[in-house]
Amino acid sequence: MNAMPSEIGQIVWRHRNVIDVDCFTREELYFLLDQARHMENVMDRPIKKVPVLRGKMAVNLFFENSTRTRVSFELAEKMLSADVVNWSVSGSSHAKGETMRDTAWTLEAMGADIVVMRHGAVGSAQYLASKLKRAIVLNAGDGTHAHPTQALLDLYTAWKHLGNLEGKKIALVGDVLHSRVARSDIIAFKTIGCDVVLSGPPTMMPREIDSLGCRYEKDPRKAVQDADMVYLLRIQKERQQDGLFPSVDEYHRWWGADADLMKYARPGALAMHPGPINRGVEISSEVADGHQSVILEQVRSGVAIRMALLYLCGGGAR
Amino acid sequence: MTVLREKAKLMSSDDLNRVIKRIAHEMVEQNKGTENMILVGIHRRGVYLARRLQKIIEEVEGTKVPCGELDITLYRDDLTMLFEQPMVHSTRMPQDISGKNIYLVDDVLYTGRTVRAALEALVDLGRPSSVKLAVIIDRGHRELPIHADMCGKNVPTSKNEVIEVKVTELDGKDEVVICERDAQ
Amino acid sequence: MGKILFKDFKVFNGTEFIDAREVLVDGERVSAIGNSLDSTDAEIIEGYGKILSPGFVDLHAHFRDPGGEWNEDISSGARAGAAGGFTTLVAMPNTKPAISEPSLVEYVLSHGRAAGASRILPSGCVSKNREGKEMAELLKMAEAGAVFFTDDGAPIATSSLFRLALIYTGKDHPRIMEHPEEMSLFKGGQVHEGKVSALSGLKGIPAASEEIDVARGIALARETCGRVHFTHLSSAGALGLIKQAKKEGLDVTCDTTFHHLTLNENAVINSGYNSRYKVNPPLRSKEDQAALWEGMLDGTIDAIVSDHAPWHMDEKDEPFQDAPFGIASLECAAAVIIDFKNKNYPEVPVEMILRKMTSSPASLLTEKWQALGKIEEGSPADITIIDEERTRIVDCSEWNSKARCCPWEGIALTGWPVMTFVEGRKIWQDNEDL
Ligand SMILES: [Zn+2]
Repeated sequence: MNAMPSEIGQIVWRHRNVIDVDCFTREELYFLLDQARHMENVMDRPIKKVPVLRGKMAVNLFFENSTRTRVSFELAEKMLSADVVNWSVSGSSHAKGETMRDTAWTLEAMGADIVVMRHGAVGSAQYLASKLKRAIVLNAGDGTHAHPTQALLDLYTAWKHLGNLEGKKIALVGDVLHSRVARSDIIAFKTIGCDVVLSGPPTMMPREIDSLGCRYEKDPRKAVQDADMVYLLRIQKERQQDGLFPSVDEYHRWWGADADLMKYARPGALAMHPGPINRGVEISSEVADGHQSVILEQVRSGVAIRMALLYLCGGGAR
Repeated sequence: MTVLREKAKLMSSDDLNRVIKRIAHEMVEQNKGTENMILVGIHRRGVYLARRLQKIIEEVEGTKVPCGELDITLYRDDLTMLFEQPMVHSTRMPQDISGKNIYLVDDVLYTGRTVRAALEALVDLGRPSSVKLAVIIDRGHRELPIHADMCGKNVPTSKNEVIEVKVTELDGKDEVVICERDAQ
Repeated sequence: MGKILFKDFKVFNGTEFIDAREVLVDGERVSAIGNSLDSTDAEIIEGYGKILSPGFVDLHAHFRDPGGEWNEDISSGARAGAAGGFTTLVAMPNTKPAISEPSLVEYVLSHGRAAGASRILPSGCVSKNREGKEMAELLKMAEAGAVFFTDDGAPIATSSLFRLALIYTGKDHPRIMEHPEEMSLFKGGQVHEGKVSALSGLKGIPAASEEIDVARGIALARETCGRVHFTHLSSAGALGLIKQAKKEGLDVTCDTTFHHLTLNENAVINSGYNSRYKVNPPLRSKEDQAALWEGMLDGTIDAIVSDHAPWHMDEKDEPFQDAPFGIASLECAAAVIIDFKNKNYPEVPVEMILRKMTSSPASLLTEKWQALGKIEEGSPADITIIDEERTRIVDCSEWNSKARCCPWEGIALTGWPVMTFVEGRKIWQDNEDL
């Protein structure tokens, strides 16, 4: 099932921080997928733990609430035997009182080796990395900009099912404008050689779609036509208050994924979603729970790919 | 930079195959047959050596002993000292190893640290009733209380030397050579 | 004060390079220009071929004083200007409180004088407290010394207030300076709407925002026969409208900034969203940047301004999205533009740039200051010496300004001011130079 170039050459992994997927070459992406496969193997053992990050301290620094991403990282860290500290900072960054610079230095003073950060501001992960001398930064989402581990787990899920992804087509449907998932997915799937097509309300598309290097189809049926993967992006209902679409119902009628829309894709195409899903908005239950859905597998893939990244970036000497 | 300079050939292809055959016989003898036996090769050359042992045992005994592969990368004790993380390879066991007699197979026994890691990895996979170790070359310089139960050849070496066990599957030929590290 | 004889300089008189190699300053004024001037009693400054230019005039700088002195105060701002070769700086009135009454105009003037560095000229708000509702005491502020009226930081809130202010001030009082932006298109904006917003997901500020407000200002200038100066232009579209309006004979003028001429949205992207590139109006596309250079060459753009917007490190050193807008540039602006021109537009003569930093902006000031920006017999001895060969690395830690980061930090630039004089008095000198 895994169409991996049979002999993955030994790659010199030069990445410390992971801010976005644009830092990876195609070879590095495949290498990472291969390493994730071995990590997933660990998840199936009676003792789901290897000692590779023993003695390393991982801090999950979350300025935004995201239980899913945090738990996924935490599981990955624990399976690699890292010591895990969860640090949640609630409220907006302006109200927090401490600057991120001070937070960074505090973390380092405490001896953190790995910092996983989710923050609402674009550029925050890069910023944090620039302030840390020793610890590495894995971006768990910086505002609307990037969510590299999500894109990698999506890639991993697709690869496990479809094998070689070269020339495969993925349709991303929904709010691309505000989606860090979409932005990182576009880069990841393009790098690995996929054809990426976007669809969704024109008010939820960046004005210069060309600069993302992919095509836009207003009509989702045209976007999904012959696709191997149909990726539904989460719609935040508050976007309706911003006036970007008139009603949830209208959204669902036009861009929501139901069995009818899936008919336009290739038989056996995957239905994917970053979660949590809004049933009846961007995805109908028949698709979410149907045989094409790999949504729960994506969750499992998330742990594996995060283990691979933690191992490759976070182990070793400084 | 260091370069390896080949100093001497320790075993030819025939020598190596004779040694593997002998070890196969010793294994069956020690195990009193092939029952409950699992061969486990340590990545990377140990995996190919284990498969050859499996084949020889099958030829002699008529039974196919289950053969697994073990990657010890995630159990190494020197990872925090390395700047580049080594690649992880697959770990595959043909069946549950609990209650089985495990025959670990590796090419060279040196400090014993690889075997220590392999034992830790095995324990995480189940509770074997016994674990025995087979190697082609024991070159001394042990840093841990570990010994080989079956050994092709004892070769006293200096720390400056490197033993290379070559297998056709990976290296295109079977042989064992001793090399010297030349500092440049 | 005594006499100074500047010897062996390339003399730029505000318009062009002249044949004379010497300028004699007697007290506060230029007393003679020529060759082999009488040097009796004069201190002699040898130029070895450096440029002698009228001191630079910046129509747009923010000093955060009163109310935000930890970011910059009038004194540090005036010294920063001096170190950048600026002899006259127009202080924007969006302080706390905003400069919207005569006593505050006097505050800026007196603190500027006390600094003993560049000349600080105040501007006053168009509206009381910069609230965009009632017209401020414009004529009293003019009397007190305001040289522009502007609600900068924001456009004039309503077209009716804009129109009234134009009619009220007419042609005999300070010009109205408009910050061209349509605010409903801003809301939460962070970067140029285009490639950078697409790649980052940051809310874009479309170029149309600037264009719409410029169109409004032009319509009002036409209707009232008033004078409007549009500041910190950033987009090709808005520039096109101004070019048309000028052709039509309307009294509209405009400026752009050193950073919009030398940077574009790619700088934001390539930096991985570093807050030092965060500015409003945002760094726009490469095409917009090229259009600004065209506007420089065809005369649509009258002046280059700094829009110096200093922030204390504690405020500016934040992730991009959380950081405030503003680029501090006074201390390297001249080098930034000279270096960029030489590398990218080598065929453009340096006079063209210098004109838009001296005589051209000076001509937009009030009557009283019309002699600035020139080197003529009898003009105030505001002089900046420029060494076109000098290469220096931008190092914000050495700045007089309280700002500690800028887009050019750590970059080597060639072509720096090395000495600055205001009314015959040396206010700054590059210590490593002479
Ligand atoms: Zn402004």
